[in-house]
Amino acid sequence: MKIEVKEISKRFGATLALDAVSLTIESGEIHTLVGENGAGKSTLGKIISGVYQKDAGTIQINGQVSEYQSAYEALRRGITIIAQELSLVPARSVIENVFLGIEDSTGPFVARKRLRERFVKLVESSGIDISPDISVGALRNGDQQKVEILRALARDSTTIVMDEPTARLSAHETTTLKMLIKDLKSKGHTIIFVSHFLNDVLEISDKISIMRDGRLVRTSLPSAESHSSLVEAMTGTRFGQIFTEKKINPSSNVVLKVDKLTSINQFKNISFEIKSGEILGFAGLVGSGRTELIRSIFGVDKVDSGSVEYLGKTITRFSPSKSIMKGISFLPESRKDQGTIPLRSLAENISLPHLKSLSNFGWIKKASERKLVNKFFTLCGIKAASIKVPIASLSGGNQQKALFARSLAGSPKLFIADEPTRGVDVGSKRAIYELLSAQAAAGMAVLVVSSELDEIVGLTHRVLVMREGEIVKELTGSEINENTVLEAAFSGHIA
Amino acid sequence: MNALRKSLTKLAVLWALVIVFVGLTVTTENFFSIMNLRNILDQQAFILMIAGFATIVIISGGFDVSLGAIYILSPIVALKVENATGSILYMILAGSAVGIAAGLMNGVIIAYGKINSFITTLATSFILFGLAYILSDGSILTLSNIEARSFVTNRILGITSATWMAFIILIVSWILLERTRYGRSIFAIGGNIEAARLSGIRVARIQIIAFILGGFGAGLAGALNSIRTTSAQASDDFSVIFAVIAAIVVGGTSIAGGSGAIWRSVAGVFFIAILVNGFNLNGIDPVFQRIIQGLVILLAVGADSIRSSRRT
Repeated sequence: MKIEVKEISKRFGATLALDAVSLTIESGEIHTLVGENGAGKSTLGKIISGVYQKDAGTIQINGQVSEYQSAYEALRRGITIIAQELSLVPARSVIENVFLGIEDSTGPFVARKRLRERFVKLVESSGIDISPDISVGALRNGDQQKVEILRALARDSTTIVMDEPTARLSAHETTTLKMLIKDLKSKGHTIIFVSHFLNDVLEISDKISIMRDGRLVRTSLPSAESHSSLVEAMTGTRFGQIFTEKKINPSSNVVLKVDKLTSINQFKNISFEIKSGEILGFAGLVGSGRTELIRSIFGVDKVDSGSVEYLGKTITRFSPSKSIMKGISFLPESRKDQGTIPLRSLAENISLPHLKSLSNFGWIKKASERKLVNKFFTLCGIKAASIKVPIASLSGGNQQKALFARSLAGSPKLFIADEPTRGVDVGSKRAIYELLSAQAAAGMAVLVVSSELDEIVGLTHRVLVMREGEIVKELTGSEINENTVLEAAFSGHIA
Repeated sequence: MNALRKSLTKLAVLWALVIVFVGLTVTTENFFSIMNLRNILDQQAFILMIAGFATIVIISGGFDVSLGAIYILSPIVALKVENATGSILYMILAGSAVGIAAGLMNGVIIAYGKINSFITTLATSFILFGLAYILSDGSILTLSNIEARSFVTNRILGITSATWMAFIILIVSWILLERTRYGRSIFAIGGNIEAARLSGIRVARIQIIAFILGGFGAGLAGALNSIRTTSAQASDDFSVIFAVIAAIVVGGTSIAGGSGAIWRSVAGVFFIAILVNGFNLNGIDPVFQRIIQGLVILLAVGADSIRSSRRT
């Protein structure tokens, strides 16, 4: 199936995720979309497969303009997506998952025998060998992915969009998957492969389309590209300056010292220090163990071995309440799921972790609370009618600023921020960066986990790059640029 | 205009209460009399006593159906203690202790076992009912010191002491919820448990205390009610729990947790009580009364779900 995408645009709130992208996918090729987090590659894959609806532009299938409004309609045209988060029913068997919704039946009863025959045929024609009766939840990630592929084939899909299929696979499973993809191609299927694992991309693609900031940089042949040429094209030069100058030098006071911290299957042997006045960045791909690491340090998740020293004292029992009392603040990555108490007022949301110092024997001192909230309401530049409005009535940027106010109101010595500017507009971003820089200059140690490269580069004094649960690179000062960070985050993922 | 609509939806239960009250005053002869209104109030004493802390449980995102079973088990233990000691004080303490112990059991299972609170309390209900049968040996227990009945039926300023005790519990639960750190934690857990945990709130502790408070209210109410009726048995009517939950929901406290208020539950209790009283005074068949009550609850929950879907 030949798919021609013409001038496709897509907007999510304030961000233009795709800006007039045009590209052509020939029938029977493996066409890869690469780019950084947020470059628009997944969005494009989802639009082609009907999961998202485009705002503008056209899609032509085999030369004919084709309009479809849902994944179901795309499926009827032979296009399926295998999403990053698999969509299987874990408690049911492989065969039930493969034929879910398209079962053969006699009257209301499922024709089990015919279904089994179909399954055998499917396995023969695809070469994917998997037992039909195991429940999907018991399978490893790689095998679950095979079930997804079988499911796509069972629906006669000729084009399969794979969104980051190797992100959750082991090296061995990745090799198997790549063979499978080549095999599907040889049987005439078209594969749209969305990935940021550059070695995989160079190995299996027929064509590579590089995306950046919602635009297509170029489409080229893998023979014309190299690891570094891809990285260069993915990062490019950016316009607009929203970062303040990095002024200060960190002091010599070590605030946090982490030694060989390990949590099985999450991260291992993590050792680093952060000093007062320093902004330390954690870079790496999504799933590299950064969030898990800082959650463990803050005391949300458990640690298996290693030690953490805070202001010279070893932490023996980790818990969020203990951390907050000691002066450690935490800004979670998901504002909605882990941050706000949506129906409660801005004031209550800001004072929540600090009620102990704002109360006498459990009785809240309203005047002290109002004073504290007002101070940080102003400091963080929150725009709201009053501190009494429900936090959910504010814009995303202002909610995020409110969570900053919450974190800073305890006057922390260490501030851990996970994706501090996720889903906020440019104006709020700038304000947040200024706030973080000012706090660091005043002596706070700031630990930032970010998937936004420009944020890492523009904001931090020092960067630790994580890959597969380990720190693989430390960059300081002028060594920090998009190429060095990306290079460290990507390289080494060699199958 | 917008403000008017906002107050209409926010204060819906109050408007409903006022409308029904005025409507009955105008249409029904014997409704607006000191005697009738006092009766309505006194009849609700035990429901109000349970509803105060039960509201806290629901705002925290929990659900306690075992309050019905506690309300049955508590007087059986309490009357046994009274029969043995002859002391009303020990009796009331025993009944409260039953509630506290049951609440502790519920809370620990829910908070540390991470088991759904509805299922947990459904299961513990069976256990508590079973205990009630074992302890009472299937027979009726009676109050040995009948004079002690005045402890709950005695009128102070025209209102029974049981009703005054209910008011005290309501005021305590209201203060807890609106003025203390504990109340903030309840709203936070019910609104977004993950955010609450990351804000340093000790979620398990708060949840366990909520279930203990809920159990205490039901245990106390059960013991006091058995003083009023002078007897208790394991097969007594436990439908008080339905009345309590109905009142909380009709009042506008969200069953999903995170929002609600004590005054809402009080308004819910009286709305249903006045409605039922109006039916009785007008001689409406009790069978239809139940159906209408059911419809009112559905209406209240439906309104809440529409409101919350508009919010997002």
